[in-house]
Amino acid sequence: MPEELKDKIESTASKVMRTPRSLDIEITARCNLRCRYCYFFNNPAVEYRDLPTDEWLKFFDELGSLGVMNVTLAGGEPFIRKDLPILLEGIARNRMRFSFLSNGALIDDEIAAFIARTGRCEHVQVSVDGSCAEVHDSCRGQGSFDGAIRGIRTLQRHRIGVAVRVTIHRSNVNDLDNIAHFLLEELGLPNFGTNSAGYMGTCCVNADDLLLNIEERKEAMVTLLRLTANNNGRISADAGPLADGRMWRRMEEARVQNEPAFHNGGRLTACGCPSNKISVRADGAIVPCNMLAHVKLGRINHDSLAEIWKNSPALNQLRNRYTIPLTGFEFCAGCSYIPYCTGNCPGLAYTLTGMVDHPSPDACLRRFLEEGGAVV
Amino acid sequence: MNQTDKPIANPIVVLREEFDDWAVLFNPDTADAMGTNPVGVAVWKRMDGKRSLEDIASEIRNSFEDTPDAASKEIADFVNTLAENGFAGLELESK
Ligand code: SF4
Ligand code: SF4
Repeated sequence: MPEELKDKIESTASKVMRTPRSLDIEITARCNLRCRYCYFFNNPAVEYRDLPTDEWLKFFDELGSLGVMNVTLAGGEPFIRKDLPILLEGIARNRMRFSFLSNGALIDDEIAAFIARTGRCEHVQVSVDGSCAEVHDSCRGQGSFDGAIRGIRTLQRHRIGVAVRVTIHRSNVNDLDNIAHFLLEELGLPNFGTNSAGYMGTCCVNADDLLLNIEERKEAMVTLLRLTANNNGRISADAGPLADGRMWRRMEEARVQNEPAFHNGGRLTACGCPSNKISVRADGAIVPCNMLAHVKLGRINHDSLAEIWKNSPALNQLRNRYTIPLTGFEFCAGCSYIPYCTGNCPGLAYTLTGMVDHPSPDACLRRFLEEGGAVV
Repeated sequence: MNQTDKPIANPIVVLREEFDDWAVLFNPDTADAMGTNPVGVAVWKRMDGKRSLEDIASEIRNSFEDTPDAASKEIADFVNTLAENGFAGLELESK
């Protein structure tokens, strides 16, 4: 997105644009894998069923009429849908671009060639969690590493942009150096992104085996900060140890220097998504975000998306979250990081505390330090 | 065939009127996007291949209060920028 447009979004964070720019769509509730940390499955609030082709095509026509620019197709595994070419034609006909979140294993030459021909694909994000099958498959199942790499190579052959995401957990935290080498050198990717397994969906069942403990989190931060520095910033993160490591460094520096509050500090500002995008579950429920899949705002082809976007009380409440001061929470009482803290992801705040309008304990710097962590 | 001075909007380009004072033109084939203001939107909506630049400029002068004297030049520059970026073309003369 051009800088000018990004600035416009940021400068109008408190205003709501007339229609969303982009949508995250869980196009299917089916998946060929059953990853042990999957946020998608095992959410009691979600109905796991797929909609027929026609329902999606009708909805894409509505998105076209609203001038939506991009859709991200996720799931489940989006490439499991046999009608994918028809769906992509519906997206392209409505003058939108698209991207995918995928495990890669179902991507073959035929679908890759089709995608390339549309000229509308931003990228396909494929999850790779290890430098070898042993590490990757430990959480994602036997054969999944080979499938992911085959998928990536197929996309590369068809000159489709590939984005790789590494989800860090207890079984791959010691493999990060190898993973970086494998992705950047052997696969020749320009960069890759990272996050970490979070307390959602299936991961809640396997949390003890998967979620990084304090020492592992510290180790992941040190390693990732070193790796990205040594690789010209080719490793990115919006969440997880690298994002936390960077943010917490800034917060600690600001606290020590007694700097003025950050522009987004001191309030529940972490999530800017509801001002420019919205999500749809596989069963057609419109929700603010895939991380807040229990907040049902309406149903596609039944409720007007434009109406929900402008007037949904639940969505507007989420948008107004940025007005809630951290000083009002018992959880934050007396914390010297308040002026620099954003309260973190509302989705994790909900799964960990049962409240959306609450700071998320997961990315709480004070708690991390109290439990033996350090700013690295 | 020669080009006329009648600009025509590229039909693949999407106009998103995001705020009262701000719109985005987006070409989904190239992913190029351009921000514009309400005058740009009014120009865009008149680029139908039938109106000349001067027709458009005079309609704009009539519909917006306080249109500056330099409006015609600014509109021509805007349309040129659109054309250079593949957002618009000039209608061809039909013989
Ligand atoms: S994480 Fe993705 S690939 Fe794994 S089971 Fe969940 S939806 Fe499927
Ligand atoms: S207690 Fe945690 S969440 Fe609250 S302000 Fe401090 S660092 Fe942020």
